[in-house]
Amino acid sequence: MAVPAPHPASAEPTAGFGFILKKAVISALVALVLFFLMIGIRTEAGSSGQLIYWTRFGELAAIVGAVFVGSIVIELLRRWIGPVGGVELPASVRGGFAVLGRLLAPALLIFALLVPVIFYKERYLLDLAILVMTYVMLGWGLNIVVGLAGLLDLGYVAFYAVGAYSYALLAQSGLPLPHLTDAFPYVAFSMEQLGPWAFWVLLPVSGLLAALWGVILGFPVLRLRGDYLAIVTLAFGEIIRLVILNWQDLTGGPNGISGIPRPTVFGIPLTPGEHGFAAMIGVPFSPTHRLVFLFYLILALALITNWVTIRLRRLPIGRAWEAMREDEVACRALGINITTTKLSAFAIGAMFGGFAGAFFATRQGFISPESFSFQESALVLAIVVLGGMGSQLGVALAAIAMIGGFELFRGLDQFRMLVFGGVMVLLMIWRPRGLIGHRAPTVFLQKRTEISASLVKEGHG
Amino acid sequence: MSAAATSLLAIRGLRAAYGKIEALKGVDLDIKSGEIVALIGANGAGKSTLMMSIFGRPRARAGHILFDGQDITALPAHQVARLRIAQSPEGRRIFPRMTVAENLQMGADATPGSDAERAASLERVLKLFPRLDERMTQRGGTLSGGEQQMLAIGRALMSRPRLLLLDEPSLGLAPLITRQIFSAIRTLNREDHLTVLIVEQNANHALRLAHRGYVMVNGLITMSGPGMELLQRPEIRAAYLEGGRHG
Repeated sequence: MAVPAPHPASAEPTAGFGFILKKAVISALVALVLFFLMIGIRTEAGSSGQLIYWTRFGELAAIVGAVFVGSIVIELLRRWIGPVGGVELPASVRGGFAVLGRLLAPALLIFALLVPVIFYKERYLLDLAILVMTYVMLGWGLNIVVGLAGLLDLGYVAFYAVGAYSYALLAQSGLPLPHLTDAFPYVAFSMEQLGPWAFWVLLPVSGLLAALWGVILGFPVLRLRGDYLAIVTLAFGEIIRLVILNWQDLTGGPNGISGIPRPTVFGIPLTPGEHGFAAMIGVPFSPTHRLVFLFYLILALALITNWVTIRLRRLPIGRAWEAMREDEVACRALGINITTTKLSAFAIGAMFGGFAGAFFATRQGFISPESFSFQESALVLAIVVLGGMGSQLGVALAAIAMIGGFELFRGLDQFRMLVFGGVMVLLMIWRPRGLIGHRAPTVFLQKRTEISASLVKEGHG
Repeated sequence: MSAAATSLLAIRGLRAAYGKIEALKGVDLDIKSGEIVALIGANGAGKSTLMMSIFGRPRARAGHILFDGQDITALPAHQVARLRIAQSPEGRRIFPRMTVAENLQMGADATPGSDAERAASLERVLKLFPRLDERMTQRGGTLSGGEQQMLAIGRALMSRPRLLLLDEPSLGLAPLITRQIFSAIRTLNREDHLTVLIVEQNANHALRLAHRGYVMVNGLITMSGPGMELLQRPEIRAAYLEGGRHG
């Protein structure tokens, strides 16, 4: 842990015991220093606000002991398993994994379609499924920017926020829709109320506004790469959040916006009463209907994101994104316009973030700046990295694991983050390229043989 | 100079700099259609800078670059490439995580052309470098150095270039592979009448291949002439060929 191991297994397998012991002692010392104040001394505010503290040296000793023993166990295990990454799976096992991998995506899709049927009675699980799907969509959106185009974006939540606030604000004020008049200048604008169609009209508008902000962010960062780009996008995310927080007149500041219109089934509201969706199809009203509808809505939005990404990857623009991730200089030499390539990646990624934001607003009915903190950006980025940059299935799996895992460990309370961090470290050791690090090629050979056959027919061959 | 009128590429008084360090101090160079021109010189002489400044990086501070009579000095890189000037950059710079097929496709993506023309270029590239045909579905990063160089040249050829710029194609390659690559360039020039500018440190190989050569020292062209003639000059032999034929 604290000491780098100089090739443990290969160098001297017998003389290693002293080394293991030394390493364990150092680890234990680090733990002692680290936990002395965190665990060794417990402080609390007393009844009249005075400081009460007491020592817990027993617990401290237990932790330090655990680190000491753990360090020895880990080092022994490492020697036993051998160097990380040196393990080759037999061909049959790998073949089995390949079949499993091919079946995984369709199986997940079918399961996703059936979620509201299976969990119809379990409101909590339905809510969780909607949350997971939202992050799947955000992950797929950010995947375009980070995974495909290789632009490290730490401020993705800004576009989520732009989408959410665009929808919330426009749903309240209406859109300036043009109509013809008799008098000069013959065209007038009115802030038209959208009624039950608010969501369906404003969803694309929110996406486009987010895309516009994607381009606005894209221009100043055209020349930046890697960590420099990350810092600027991080700042951009914070700027958007702070503007929302402080522009009280428009956004309501920290109080947020409430009373955001709920989505309708293409104009039919999901409400009790004779004009509601339930009455329309002749079933008794249940509040679960809305959850089911929201789930299918976000599933559809996410699948559109996925489909668009898969299509784009096979087009020159998607290939250019990936090539740009690999080598920007080479791209320029091949005649790729880096400016438009970058801006399009930012814009399209942001657009899907905006869609997800509009969905978030309509699902919650209330939004405030708290929902758009840096933590959200970090979470979505973690999903993309954990999933294996660029892999659609990997991102979906990572979103399920992260958001689902978060809920799973809710009982652990404040140790939740600790478990989460530990799992993440282990995963990055075992699968440094993410859950699914394999990149599916987009150009295949058979195309060529077809074309060359047609050439022969024309007499060129 | 009447040469500018007949040259495919004409460079006149080109100056370029990285910050305060002047890398090109007024360079004149001509490439006629159908010619192979070699540009040789020591490390840091400005050879690569000259090649890259054709693509606008670094941007010329003075002077002109004319391609087929058109001034391209101020054009952005992607528009230069669309005039069908292709480049195999120094260090190959293939896309390591993309397959060979995708790498080749990238070469054709940005330049206009019909599907049939692209298929024809692909046929040409694969005939020239049969090794790539065997490796079409392999990731670029898994190729050997020589194969990567073939891929870099093949990728450049996919845009059916009128002028091919090769930056150090022999860099880090075994002599046998270098010979294969140089013979492919000769084939392209003879059969497809491709015009080539080749930047090399391997002066012996490059000057034998080229119709004409330029020698660059400290950002200036100091000598020029037919390749074989340059090869005979004692000062060239002393400066670039000492240490044997593969020096």
